[in-house]
Amino acid sequence: MILTQLKSPTYYFPLALLALMGVFPLWIKDPFYLHIFIMVLFAAALSSAWNLIGGYGGQLSLGHTAFFGVGAYCSSLLFLNFSLSPWVGMLLGGLLASGLSIIVGYPCFRLKGAFFALATLAIAEVLRILSINFDDLTKGSMGIRIPFRPSFVNFIFYDKLSYAYIALCLLFLMLAISLAIGRSKMGYYLVALKEDEDASKVIGINTIKIKLLAIILSAFFTAICGTFYAQYILFIEPDAAFSSELSVHMALVAIIGGVGTAAGPLFGSLLMTPLGEFLRSALGGEYRGLHLIIYGIILIFVVMLIPKGIHDWVKIGFERFIQKFLPGKRETEERDILSNYPLWKEERNLQSESRRQTRIFWEAREVSKFFGGLAALSNVNLKVYEGEILGLIGPNGAGKTTFFNVISGLLKPDKGTIIFQGKEITELKPHSICLEGIGRTFQIVKPFPNISALGNVMTACFCREKNSGKAKSKSLEIINFVGLWNKRNFPAGSLTIAEKKFLELAKALATCPKLILLDEVMAGLNPTEVSEALQLIKKINQQGISLIIIEHVMSIIMTLCERIMVLNHGEKIAEGSPEEIAHNSAVIEAYLGQDYINA
Amino acid sequence: MSQGLSLIFGVIGIINFAHGEFLMLSMYLTFWLFQLWGIDPYISIVIVTPLFFLFGFATQKVVFQHLIKAPHLSQIFAAFGLVIVFQNIALFFWKADYRMVKTGYSAATVHIGALNLSFPRIIVFIMATAVTLVLYLFLKRTYLGKAIRATALDPDAAALMGINPMMIYCIAFGIGGALCGVAGTLLVPIYYVFPTIGAYFVLIAFVVVVLGGLGNVFGAFFGGLLIGITEVLSGYFFTSSFKEGIYFLIFILVLLIRPSGIFGLGKT
Repeated sequence: MILTQLKSPTYYFPLALLALMGVFPLWIKDPFYLHIFIMVLFAAALSSAWNLIGGYGGQLSLGHTAFFGVGAYCSSLLFLNFSLSPWVGMLLGGLLASGLSIIVGYPCFRLKGAFFALATLAIAEVLRILSINFDDLTKGSMGIRIPFRPSFVNFIFYDKLSYAYIALCLLFLMLAISLAIGRSKMGYYLVALKEDEDASKVIGINTIKIKLLAIILSAFFTAICGTFYAQYILFIEPDAAFSSELSVHMALVAIIGGVGTAAGPLFGSLLMTPLGEFLRSALGGEYRGLHLIIYGIILIFVVMLIPKGIHDWVKIGFERFIQKFLPGKRETEERDILSNYPLWKEERNLQSESRRQTRIFWEAREVSKFFGGLAALSNVNLKVYEGEILGLIGPNGAGKTTFFNVISGLLKPDKGTIIFQGKEITELKPHSICLEGIGRTFQIVKPFPNISALGNVMTACFCREKNSGKAKSKSLEIINFVGLWNKRNFPAGSLTIAEKKFLELAKALATCPKLILLDEVMAGLNPTEVSEALQLIKKINQQGISLIIIEHVMSIIMTLCERIMVLNHGEKIAEGSPEEIAHNSAVIEAYLGQDYINA
Repeated sequence: MSQGLSLIFGVIGIINFAHGEFLMLSMYLTFWLFQLWGIDPYISIVIVTPLFFLFGFATQKVVFQHLIKAPHLSQIFAAFGLVIVFQNIALFFWKADYRMVKTGYSAATVHIGALNLSFPRIIVFIMATAVTLVLYLFLKRTYLGKAIRATALDPDAAALMGINPMMIYCIAFGIGGALCGVAGTLLVPIYYVFPTIGAYFVLIAFVVVVLGGLGNVFGAFFGGLLIGITEVLSGYFFTSSFKEGIYFLIFILVLLIRPSGIFGLGKT
């Protein structure tokens, strides 16, 4: 696998560049330039660590110095007080920072966007103030000087070259981890929850767990960078170790390079670190502040001119370059993958056909939901038999979507129980409900807009499948099934409304559900698309999957559904076969008013 | 009460990290007006406020206008860029010295019953109340105020109603700047001026905004009062070096417990 990949220029060319970076420090003689080289690597590694949660996960942390400082102080204090080798202290510091990250992350992840940033910023500041005030341990604002006793065990070296190679190893490690995560289930999950948290939950993503995992990893490596910094400078003080500027710088390097990409932090660091260092050395002494003024102005311009980051440019340029000049095998054809797998199989429907209409496998008992004083749902009872298609209708505002939100766990019912396959699922979180086997689509479609259609489906696939390769082939199969084959590599945001609806369906299918909730899939589709959707729904049902369908178009409901439930003002007003419903006076009144019955 | 004024610039809901630097610059301006021409800080309100309206307006026009559609990240980092630039401009021109205006009334106190209140702080309180009321009336009653609120809710819909959202953003930013101007002049008789003072106040401002609920005029007022009380109490119980830590702790706690603010209506 790896050997075949190496034949492709997309792989061997960047690897060659990295190898070149490996011999580069041998060639630099000037210690100042070597220092800049080390700082570039260091900042890139640090920023990669931030990128794990801040970039991939989209959780803009501005408090990563908390982890950095903890790492730096932990290893240094252990070294000074117990002569423990910083190599060991580094790992302990990493673990300590990971522990801290759980304490920070768990409550703070409920906050969105800028508020999360502010909260993390505040936490780092609290640590800074604490480290100043606990001066028995940390020597307060005086800082800690690490005695210069060079040896490998002490992580102290005479020459900068050794530091350069350690930094290089650190950076390679971070690049490898970033790449691995980017392609794994975790990477897909992180990006998905960055794009749409609700949509992530209903395809089985435990958002809190994934975010915590990411921040634990991120904190660990940030702390390791902290130790490296302390051992390189041999001096730490609260204002440096816990400085908010450093937090900002970490994030900034990643953002300028390209957030959520493995190589982004390196690009960002290659641009920003030398810039900062040169400005400082050229202007720092005589004109205090001037170098930062220029740095700030450049920062504003960069953010304004290339909001997506350098990575985007480099990628486009790189692809052109490869196509023109470098030989090698291209990406494997996805059709090949598809042909290796049977198309959607028909085996399951026979067994389910026999059990049809006999077994209740989903049931809601007395379910109520209140918004303030308004009863959005009151005492709704409903049974779904295995393999059936149930229609859910009602005027606008009747509580249909609320009902779906309650079923899929996005809203907790105030009263009542929901039972699925003999198990009570009322209290379960959305992702667990998905894992139990209930998938759903959203009326207002919620694709992950910046991920390709295929990526969207793959993300959903990961809820049953750990291996990326298998998830990909299964997703290709599903994408083919819903008829989005030609659009699979387009970002989901660029699809038409009909395609987005089919994508929603594909995402729901990819979680291997036994029951699918379809929320107005037909709305906004033209007649051809409607008939395609009808065919799809029938095919899905033939697999033995039950469906509850919310729909306004009565002809669709009448042809598809075996039974229909009608909601009005949050109450069930009728339930029965399509014919019964069509002649039910309560239903006619709800839709058309009292006058119509009299007339 | 001593901090009642911090609400003034807590009123606009734009998450602008450079806000503190606006305040810092307005304090410097007031300081130099006093130092060079002997203009009393309270009189210089008339000069500083309009200037900072223009300053805020220009900042939005030149920098943030281009980032309206950009991701959150870019906006925050552009603001950080401004912070770095402004702070270092101050550092470059006026050095890191702490400066203060000495007026006849800086130390004056007023006795109301058993209470000893410092005169400049009373002025701050009165002005804060007045500004809150004026701002409230402006937002509720005038056409421009309504346009600002409409744009805040849905810029596209506002544009369809004949409002130019871009102009509104500039004006809102200008008002934010003007409020910083007012706050700056009022603060000069009480606090030292130095290049990084903005960072200290912007933090308090954020706490106040969050406490009171984003974009809630009266919420910000009460949030300000609450912080004032906290400052006095924490100054009583803890050493001053811990005081800043207390703000952060309150801030974190409020964010976690009531993200929509004490007076927020529970929306997320």
